[in-house]
Amino acid sequence: MRSRFLSVLRFLFRRRDLEREIDAELRFHLDHLIEQNIARGMSAADARRKAALMVGGVEATKEACRDARTGRLVESLLQDIQYGVRVLRKNPGFACTAIVTLALGVGANTAIFSVVYGVLLRPLPYGHGGQLVVLHQNVPQANVFDVPFSVKELADYREGAQTLQSIVEHHTMNFVLMDRDQAQRVDAAVVSANFFDVLGVKPLVGRTFVAADDAPGADAVVIFSHTYWQSHGGDPGTVGRIVQMNGRPHTVIGVLPAIPQYPVASDIYVPTSQCPTRSNPRFIDNRNARMMTAFGRLKEGATVEQVQADLSVVANTIASTHPETYLKQDGYTLVASPLQDDLTRRARTMFLVLLGVAGFVLLIACANVANLLLARLLKLERELAVRAALGASRLRLVRQVLTESIVLSICGGAAGLALAPVALRLLVQFAQRFTTRAAEVRVDTPVLAFAMLVSVGTGVLLGLAPALFSSKWIESAFPQSAQWSTANRSRHRVRGALVVIQVAVSVVLLAGAGLMIRTFARLQQADPGFAADHLLTMRLSPLSPPFDTQRVRELADRIIVKVRALPGIDSVALATSFPFNPAGVVNGPGKISFEIDSQPPARGDVTPTTDVRVVGAGYFETIRQPILRGRSFEERDERTDPGVLVINQTMARHRFPLEDPLGKRMRFNVGTNWTPWQEIVGVAADVREYGPGQGPVDEVYGVFNRGFAGRLIVRTALDPASMEPTVRAALREIDPRIAIDNVYTVERAQYESMTSPRVMMLLLGMFAGLAALISVSGIAAVMALAVGQRTREIGVRMALGARVGSIIGMVMRQGLVLALAGIGVGMAGAAALTRLLFSFLYGTSPTDVVTFLAAPVLFLAVSAAAAFVSARQVVFIDPLVALRHE
Amino acid sequence: MARTKSDPKRDLLQGTLDLLILKTLDLQAMHGWGITLRIQQLSENVLQVNQGSLYPALHRLEERDWIRATWSISENNRQAKYYELTRQGRKQLAEEKHNWLRLSGAVARIVGA
Repeated sequence: MRSRFLSVLRFLFRRRDLEREIDAELRFHLDHLIEQNIARGMSAADARRKAALMVGGVEATKEACRDARTGRLVESLLQDIQYGVRVLRKNPGFACTAIVTLALGVGANTAIFSVVYGVLLRPLPYGHGGQLVVLHQNVPQANVFDVPFSVKELADYREGAQTLQSIVEHHTMNFVLMDRDQAQRVDAAVVSANFFDVLGVKPLVGRTFVAADDAPGADAVVIFSHTYWQSHGGDPGTVGRIVQMNGRPHTVIGVLPAIPQYPVASDIYVPTSQCPTRSNPRFIDNRNARMMTAFGRLKEGATVEQVQADLSVVANTIASTHPETYLKQDGYTLVASPLQDDLTRRARTMFLVLLGVAGFVLLIACANVANLLLARLLKLERELAVRAALGASRLRLVRQVLTESIVLSICGGAAGLALAPVALRLLVQFAQRFTTRAAEVRVDTPVLAFAMLVSVGTGVLLGLAPALFSSKWIESAFPQSAQWSTANRSRHRVRGALVVIQVAVSVVLLAGAGLMIRTFARLQQADPGFAADHLLTMRLSPLSPPFDTQRVRELADRIIVKVRALPGIDSVALATSFPFNPAGVVNGPGKISFEIDSQPPARGDVTPTTDVRVVGAGYFETIRQPILRGRSFEERDERTDPGVLVINQTMARHRFPLEDPLGKRMRFNVGTNWTPWQEIVGVAADVREYGPGQGPVDEVYGVFNRGFAGRLIVRTALDPASMEPTVRAALREIDPRIAIDNVYTVERAQYESMTSPRVMMLLLGMFAGLAALISVSGIAAVMALAVGQRTREIGVRMALGARVGSIIGMVMRQGLVLALAGIGVGMAGAAALTRLLFSFLYGTSPTDVVTFLAAPVLFLAVSAAAAFVSARQVVFIDPLVALRHE
Repeated sequence: MARTKSDPKRDLLQGTLDLLILKTLDLQAMHGWGITLRIQQLSENVLQVNQGSLYPALHRLEERDWIRATWSISENNRQAKYYELTRQGRKQLAEEKHNWLRLSGAVARIVGA
């Protein structure tokens, strides 16, 4: 092995010596032959000639000698690369076009792949992340999925599961944390003591929870997430500090490392014993008090299928032990799914579609560059033939063409890699909406490997096609003219086919982009059902926990009165949420079980569910949601028990098709219990609470008459964003300890709610534009070449009196036939493929007529323009020169 | 003519040329021309080694470390490249000779029968 290596080196570095040696050796041989011939009585000249004939091709022998050496392969590769680079530098126009085309293709693919890899493929950053599963409780017949777990249920599964090492729980709460006299609302995750052990997360500083922290009466402790710690100074002395929360001092015991958090990003973590709700004995004892998400870690050797089978048995036991809770007709199942799949379920389709689209763009880029290469080979033909005549082997020539295209594609790949991060920033923002894993997206080794693979793969593909064609010509080193023209014709067909492919794929992408544009336009026109302009909202969190009903009530009243009195404020309301609330848009409507007094459930009926919002008096007036029947909430409703209800039109239509909803009563299952019966006093118009793309759902508005609705909504006379300081100042005057965050204008929330269709539209639009650009340039290039090749014919035609216009028409027809063929194929492809976009479309059919008319027409127009520009070259043809043209 | 393939009928069997070169060099170090002459002579002009196959073969054998080359002065006072067998080359020769004898014996038995 070592001697091999040395001989390669020797060969590469002593190349000149070796050449000289081979020369000397062969000359020595030749001289002896000549001497021998002279000795046989020939004249000197004759002897020399005979000897040369006997020896044959000196160059071929030399080449064979070089080939016998090991280092030969490396050397000729270096030569090929040098040659490739030299050729590209001599043809900067060709090289630039090809490299830019490939860079766009590779760049797009690399960017999308980094997201797909980071989000879908990268192993979870946890110890043995593959062993983690999420448990889902489903009530399939009631169409309810992902029901949270109650403490009782978790205990049942912990006891019954044979295939899981342990089951841990997680739920989120909002607490107000007082740190150094600053009130701050924090997203807290409440977890089992062994949560971090099961997930395999080690703290950055300090420690994670131990069982003792979770014992009732233990000292209150808290762990900071990395992000929260960083945004609060990142002080390494944080551990040991005391902060106030829920009226108790908490000791900070640790800080988490900078890993993405699952299932959601939280500011702080506390054990279950510190959550006021979770530690309440009534909550613990109630099988119906559900709030938690459950994770498990597989035992060594167990598979997800085994876990599924195991837990299904437990679920059946639970259901049969408590038939009053798990109604037989509703069904009850437990599904265990790998955490990795679960976290990315929502992002999967979208990114796979985008990866497919990016793949299409690369395909077009390849077809285009292949075409350029083929065109260039035409010019190279003669050179190749000469080289073949001089003794270059066929393999060597094929390799040379291949090397050139690989050099090209690697340059393109490198340029593409430089482009990728630009696109990546946009994509990551996009991905964040679907998965916390977006934070893990970066360009790293696997991504680089992918980019490398794509570039080299493209290079090989690109090189092989023309290389195989060129080898045909090399076969006959000096081709007859007849063969030349047939070769040309077959190459024309190949190039035509390449153009048709490009056009077809572009049309598919154009149709996809068109559908997204139509969707987006529809979304923007969609009537939200209320006046979204001039609305400002913010989340208020009073320090005193919302247990003292009386004090909270007073606080709410003071806020309303004070803010309403501010100049520039038209009206004010408090509510639990607001339409287009980004949190709501992501999570979708809630599902709360209800009953209607006039419609007692029959045996076997599936319990109906609805979304419920709690709003204060003045809410409908402030957002300008029309009341269609009955009345709106009034201030007196806020002070009476059990409160009244307003339902939306959709709900009225669904649940009261035959009777008048006004005066009917409803009650709700809120986990622990059924609420008291409440009367319906009004029907409001439908509002698209969950974003313009979500049609109205069943909605019940309850009046806010207990607790504290922390969402302040104000209608302003002027620009809503400009009112924020004024409102903040007024709130500070009321109570400086009210934490204010989550400030939005409703218009901005509306804009954000359309992020995914917008980004999808932008990406598809960009890709389609890119594709169209590349393929139109492909048409132009092919036509320019055709004009070049037909110069002589065109010269004859012109000499015979053909008009320039008719010749332009003739040439253009050739290009447009290709474009039309491509458009035809593309339309068929689009009809088959746009179905994949179905879930992203709104108010637009996957075979939308407008789109399917516009895409081909647009493309035809662009290609006609391109065809005309290249056909116009004939104007510059001088018949006299053309006739002498080869 | 660019192509210099010799008449295939007179091409030596694949690997035979290697054996002939090794055998020739078994007696003494020789240069390429000398090898040509010796093979021609010993085969009584039946085998004519073409330059186009001889030198690549020599380079190949050298690359395999079966022979090694040194430059020295030839009989008529010129610099010539002399090839000699290495220890590995001798081993290879013995092996190839054995193989050849077995093979040619077998062919002779069939053809002669």
